Amino acid sequence: MARAARSALVLGLLALAALLGAAAWTLWDTDVPEGLRLPEVEASAVLNADLLEEARDFERFLRISYLVSLVVVIVVFALYARYGGRFVRESAAGRIGTGMLLGMLGLAILWLVQTPFGLVDHWWQRRHGVSELGYDEWLIINWFALGGEFLFLCLALLIVMGLAGPLRFWWWVPGGFVFVGLVALFTFVSPYMIPAQEEPPPWVVDQANQLAAEQGLPEIPVRVQVVESWEAPNAAATGLGPTRRVILWDTMLLSFGEDEIRVVLGHELGHHSANHLWKNVGWYALFAFPGALAIALITRRRGGMREPLAVPLALLVFVVLQTLALPLQNAITRHMEEEADWIALETTQDPDGARNLFQGFAREALLDPDPPWWSYHLTETHPVIVDRVAMAEAWRDRRER
Amino acid sequence: MEPHPIRMVVEDDLERSRLTVFFRLLLAIPHIIWLILWGIAVFFVGILSWFIVLFTARLPQSLHDFSSAYVRYGTHVYGYVLLAASPFPGFTGTEGSYPVDLEIDPPAPQSRWKTAFRIFLAFPAFLVTSALLGGPGGGGGGSSTSGGSEEMYYYWGGSMGLAFTIAILAWFACMVRARMPNGFRDALAFCLRYAAQTYGYLLFLTDRYPYGDPRQNPVPAPPPPRAIALSADEDLHRSRLTVFFRLLLAIPLFIWLLLWTIPVVFVLIFGWLAAIALGRFPDPFHRFVGAWLRYTIHVLAFVTLVANPFPGFTGTPGTYPVDLHIDPPERQSRWTILFRSLLAFPAIVVETALSFALWIVAFLSWFAAMATGRMPSGLRALGEWSLGYYGQAYGYLYLLTGTYPYSGPPAVDVPEAVEEAAPVDTWPEPPEAPSFSAS
Repeated sequence: MARAARSALVLGLLALAALLGAAAWTLWDTDVPEGLRLPEVEASAVLNADLLEEARDFERFLRISYLVSLVVVIVVFALYARYGGRFVRESAAGRIGTGMLLGMLGLAILWLVQTPFGLVDHWWQRRHGVSELGYDEWLIINWFALGGEFLFLCLALLIVMGLAGPLRFWWWVPGGFVFVGLVALFTFVSPYMIPAQEEPPPWVVDQANQLAAEQGLPEIPVRVQVVESWEAPNAAATGLGPTRRVILWDTMLLSFGEDEIRVVLGHELGHHSANHLWKNVGWYALFAFPGALAIALITRRRGGMREPLAVPLALLVFVVLQTLALPLQNAITRHMEEEADWIALETTQDPDGARNLFQGFAREALLDPDPPWWSYHLTETHPVIVDRVAMAEAWRDRRER
Repeated sequence: MEPHPIRMVVEDDLERSRLTVFFRLLLAIPHIIWLILWGIAVFFVGILSWFIVLFTARLPQSLHDFSSAYVRYGTHVYGYVLLAASPFPGFTGTEGSYPVDLEIDPPAPQSRWKTAFRIFLAFPAFLVTSALLGGPGGGGGGSSTSGGSEEMYYYWGGSMGLAFTIAILAWFACMVRARMPNGFRDALAFCLRYAAQTYGYLLFLTDRYPYGDPRQNPVPAPPPPRAIALSADEDLHRSRLTVFFRLLLAIPLFIWLLLWTIPVVFVLIFGWLAAIALGRFPDPFHRFVGAWLRYTIHVLAFVTLVANPFPGFTGTPGTYPVDLHIDPPERQSRWTILFRSLLAFPAIVVETALSFALWIVAFLSWFAAMATGRMPSGLRALGEWSLGYYGQAYGYLYLLTGTYPYSGPPAVDVPEAVEEAAPVDTWPEPPEAPSFSAS
């Protein structure tokens, strides 16, 4: 009987793995032509020698800081997993409330040890003119950001520990669905949570409408976000269905001309036309269920997620899993960004505009056009600049052929 | 604990003349002018005292007498203006000459370090004094506003200070009844005592820091029984980590409180209608609103550092070190239920001023707890008083009780040493609820 049950479990797990694999295959599908060969582009072709040196120097420092900070984070959470249970005595709350307190204190300690790294990074960015934010503003923003993290963590622990009460180990099954639903909901409402949105100039709206029509989309609203004290340009596609929106930072309009902005619009609309935000939710689901299962399994020795004492350990497991999954997650986002770049090229038909845009990104944000491989896998959520320029050239070659 | 070198003596019979109450501010003008002139002299004497104490570690008797008389005279004048006492005071600040008086110990050796940095060390005490008595020196209220009416009201209540807020309400009470509400007088006595200790500290009469525990007021008689009362343990330990992040840690508590408040609003509306019909607040409503009010106290105690542990989310009695006892529902006068929001208005005004003091307590305690890992006992007791009054005032407003809030400081646990040191206080009658009581 036991053998039959074990076989059924193995079969079930295999079926689940096959299902996840099939889902991943479907989500990986892209409009970028199969077998597209990118030409070699040298970093020196993107930035002049001086700027290239500065960008590399700038990013080298941030990479080292990131690595040290990552190690510190894991060490801190490991120590917290070991000793964090002591803070139970600081709570007069019940099971879930105490779990929330332990979770928040874990993040609080993390904030304390990460703040020096953040301040040093900020000093570096100010020194290179990437940010004009004052140190006091930086601290205040980070302080309130911590408050937001507390809130999300409390909500997550409320769900997990609330479900773990009656369901014990099996909380992760409904918990996974709840978290996926929440991510979808958050994506849906996120356009309304972005502050300081303004109407764009009329020509931006005209271009966006024209590109949206070419991509088979209805008119997608475009908003300009006023970003004070930050020099680097950026843009984003947000929302789902009726809340879909394209956000341009005002720094984007200040840094680039109409051709480059047109490519940016094509790129962000490309995210919408390729359903990348829905795909994000799908990818999240693929990570959420195994991740929740891993947390449920590992925290069993602390009584499972029903017990507040399991929370510090769960935080450690979460951070370690997230770190391990980083290369894969970055590969997925890079894959989607490549597709958005390709769609932008297809609809704008402007490889020169794209090339100028990518070069401008590197120049304004001091991006290393060709970072080392480990940084590429660990930190790059977008294709590196040389690859993006290469894609523009590849599109031109295909068209000329 | 040794009794503080500056102690308050109250021999007031609560009787007030309507005529002098009506013209009180005008009658006090000569005293205010004299206080200002004397204050100018004391300013220079204070500087001289600083040098002398810094080098000799002791204030000469002559300077001590001069400054003592000034502090005592200031207490007499403020006592008169604030209606804490009835008779017109003399101009000399003589000991034993006024019903609200100070007993000040003779000069004693002082720490040179504390003397050197006295002006900085006195800053927290001045903050508390400003919350209790109004701006430094008891100056007037704020008129500059920047927000909606609620903000304006709060700012007004806060900057006026507890004592001036009470004095305004007491003026009406005295005009109606020719008698000072006992709770008001006791609260004023505490404010005056703390202010006198602060000025005494600043003028080098003593190097003992002002003590904020309102329970050390010379109140020999117990306060009237209350349907809503605060209980608190004596644990002063504070975790620096949770203190540092206290406001952020409270975010989920605030959100939960906000969500809980939504049904409470509807329950209060229906409960008010039901109470008018039944003459009592229905049991289920009483439990629901009572738990919510208790939870509010838990959250406020956590945020303001009056308590240390992270509270739960249910407002269950007995689950938190700072807790609110609420008596079961009782019969109440239908008239007082009908006009409850109007009747509760004075109590809410007092509560607003006390809440301002509570946030000053929280602000100062944050630094103290970060430095020492402990909550100063005086500040904590002051916080407890504020929270207790909050519970009473809102419990009355929300129909949980028909007993009017008692604004006097809690009179429990008066240390024996203080009782021994203080002269015999003659309190002509047991305390009673303020005259606004409609129950």
